[in-house]
Amino acid sequence: MRQAGIYSGILSHRTGPHSLPLSRIKKIMRHSGSDSKAMMIAGEAPLVFSKACEIFIQELTARAYEITVLGRRRTLQKDDIATAITVTDLFDFLLQVVPESADAGDGAAPAAGGRPIDDACELLL
Amino acid sequence: MAGPSPESSTSGDHGNDAVVGGMREHDRFLPIVGIGRIMRKAIPENGKIAREAKEFVQECVTEFISFITSEAVDKCQKEERKTITGDDLVWALSSLGFEEYVEPLKLYLQLYREVIVSLC
Repeated sequence: MRQAGIYSGILSHRTGPHSLPLSRIKKIMRHSGSDSKAMMIAGEAPLVFSKACEIFIQELTARAYEITVLGRRRTLQKDDIATAITVTDLFDFLLQVVPESADAGDGAAPAAGGRPIDDACELLL
Repeated sequence: MAGPSPESSTSGDHGNDAVVGGMREHDRFLPIVGIGRIMRKAIPENGKIAREAKEFVQECVTEFISFITSEAVDKCQKEERKTITGDDLVWALSSLGFEEYVEPLKLYLQLYREVIVSLC
């Protein structure tokens, strides 16, 4: 069974015009920490990440858009993503990049919006 | 391969690339164009995405890559191996809660390896 494009694409590390650049992924991997600089990275590794990142972006975006919809809006805002991160355990590692809400004095508090967060908790947990 | 246009700057100013931790600012993230494209697939046709939201996802993706890579590096070091493989990443993903990603990734990895082996 031959799928034109996929095999030759994988071979030349061209994952298609619509995919994430492997060289950039590799750069980011290298800068993950002081230890990662000394490691070798197998050729397949950035490829695995290009797919994993795609899934991750879609999951994060979908969850964030649920917040958008709860707010009766159609434009996905940064705050919607922040809220999605706050209510999803899987995204706990992102709490450090969530900006502190201007409304909350406590940096650990979720993004602004009382009711939508409660609804989000019901919806997403 | 990427389209004819050069890598786009995330901040919009082309002259000054701030250097953060040895890397130019815009090198720390994946290009916003690709990220925006993937994001759009996850929302309805009539949905829109604020630019700020795309920029924020750029940060999140870089954080995701670092998070998973660090875990894979730890494993390699414990096992005294010098090379991070695709399997290490799959293991790290599973170990950090992203088990659902494993099956589609394994398939992708298998495809890749089959191509390489078929050439040897």
